[in-house]
Amino acid sequence: MSERKKIDRRDFMRFTGAAAFTGATWMAVGEKAEAKYWQLDPAKCTQCGQCTTHCVLNPSAVKCLNQFDICGYCDLCFGYLQPGSRDLDSGAENQLCPTAAIERKYIEAPYYEYKIHEDKCIGCAKCVKACLIFGNGSFYLQIRQDICINCNECSIAKSCPSDCFSEVPQSQPYMFLTGDTYLAHPPALS
Amino acid sequence: MKEPVHKPKYPYAWGVVMAAIAGLYFYLTTTGNKFPEPGPNLEYDITALLAVDQVDTRFAETGEITPAVEMPRALKTDASGNIYIGGKDAIAVYDASGKEIERIPVDGAVTCLDFTPDGRLLAGLDDRVALIGTDRKIEAVWGDFTARSLITAIAAGEDEIFLADAASRCVLRIDYNGTVLNRIGETDEARDVPGLEVPSPYFDLAFDSDGHLWVVNPGKLGLERYRSNGDIVTSWYRADVTRLDSFSGCCNPVQIAFNSEGRLVTGEKGPVRVKIFEVTSGEFEELVVGSSAFQLPQGIGDLAVDPDDRILVLDPKKNSVRIFEANETKMAAKPNTQ
Repeated sequence: MSERKKIDRRDFMRFTGAAAFTGATWMAVGEKAEAKYWQLDPAKCTQCGQCTTHCVLNPSAVKCLNQFDICGYCDLCFGYLQPGSRDLDSGAENQLCPTAAIERKYIEAPYYEYKIHEDKCIGCAKCVKACLIFGNGSFYLQIRQDICINCNECSIAKSCPSDCFSEVPQSQPYMFLTGDTYLAHPPALS
Repeated sequence: MKEPVHKPKYPYAWGVVMAAIAGLYFYLTTTGNKFPEPGPNLEYDITALLAVDQVDTRFAETGEITPAVEMPRALKTDASGNIYIGGKDAIAVYDASGKEIERIPVDGAVTCLDFTPDGRLLAGLDDRVALIGTDRKIEAVWGDFTARSLITAIAAGEDEIFLADAASRCVLRIDYNGTVLNRIGETDEARDVPGLEVPSPYFDLAFDSDGHLWVVNPGKLGLERYRSNGDIVTSWYRADVTRLDSFSGCCNPVQIAFNSEGRLVTGEKGPVRVKIFEVTSGEFEELVVGSSAFQLPQGIGDLAVDPDDRILVLDPKKNSVRIFEANETKMAAKPNTQ
């Protein structure tokens, strides 16, 4: 019959110390300590254009996205075309984007797909504002986390007039625009 | 020997320079304007586009109803002037003065309303249609019209009902058993039907005073008149963001109704504008209300005209039904259509 081992004072202190160390480590690397990324809330964005000029990167890490399930695939797309364009085509004089970052691709009559080339996008939000005013509001801005250098104090956040920048957990680095959130909280305009 | 005294040439220059540097530092650190603002090429200025509707109008806002239903999306008036507002799980009924007189429960979100010639109520419920009797009991619910439907407007005749189906991008003609008789507005080159372009869930239709069916072609920014068999009779399109006599945006008009004189009342989204047109020719007649009366971003839920020709506009941003009446003593201003 084995003799039951008694826990002495020293073992108790060792066990307590190990438990405290484990708990502290979990607190340090656990959920509460998850890395944060800067992101902007498209429902608060007022398309002021300062994302272009206030980011420490050039071009800005803020890019336009097109939420295709909200997009109307319009022939007369105000996010793509200058207002009052005589021709609905991809002529340079007709394009709204100052860097020609939007590609217009024919799908089927009379619908077109609008794809953002993020390497050209400077985050000026002209297309976002135009689509929001005249279209379905499918264009919106987001910080591209693969480009953002995640400054300790984001210089765009500091100057954002609509206070739409916040730090989000690494596990949810984007605030996608959905039809439901759009209906509940339609994006603002400046 | 007296030593020469070297006087500084500009004794205050250093002081001025230091003061300027201090002022610049103070400005940059306190105002947040460390970087230049976006230049004009990066701005989307809509001032001139919104100013298109800054003209005098003989219409004035004379009343307002705050709907007692959640998510109001449908608006209709009956022959007595009662106002029906459809929303989530209910239709609220108001008399002409705005007093609630009835609440009709329904199962689902009401997207559109119309009355049958015998006074029963038809309610679009996303992909279904409910027929509600005069005793307010649900007589029938029809659905499964197509693989994917979103019913955004109803126009009921004696033996047939026309449904604007934004998801199928066509008009469904059904009978009073809910059976689809034919589809209207799909591209058919043999019949010269150009095809309805519906880029967003805004798609309306209505009968004019002669019983003709007018269907909005929102992607082409105009109207088309159809026969029951799908033949197109006539059409007109007005697409120009810079002119008041045309429609702006990607898809307009989003709502239509007819007044007692048979004139077409249109409602536009984007910059909200309610206008009156002569329906056959598409000639612009006058502005009812312009974008300055609505908050940004602007939209319009539904539109109706009551028997007294009051124009009712469902304003989703304000969550109210706004009532506009013409001042008959005030002449309509000549519209600025340039």
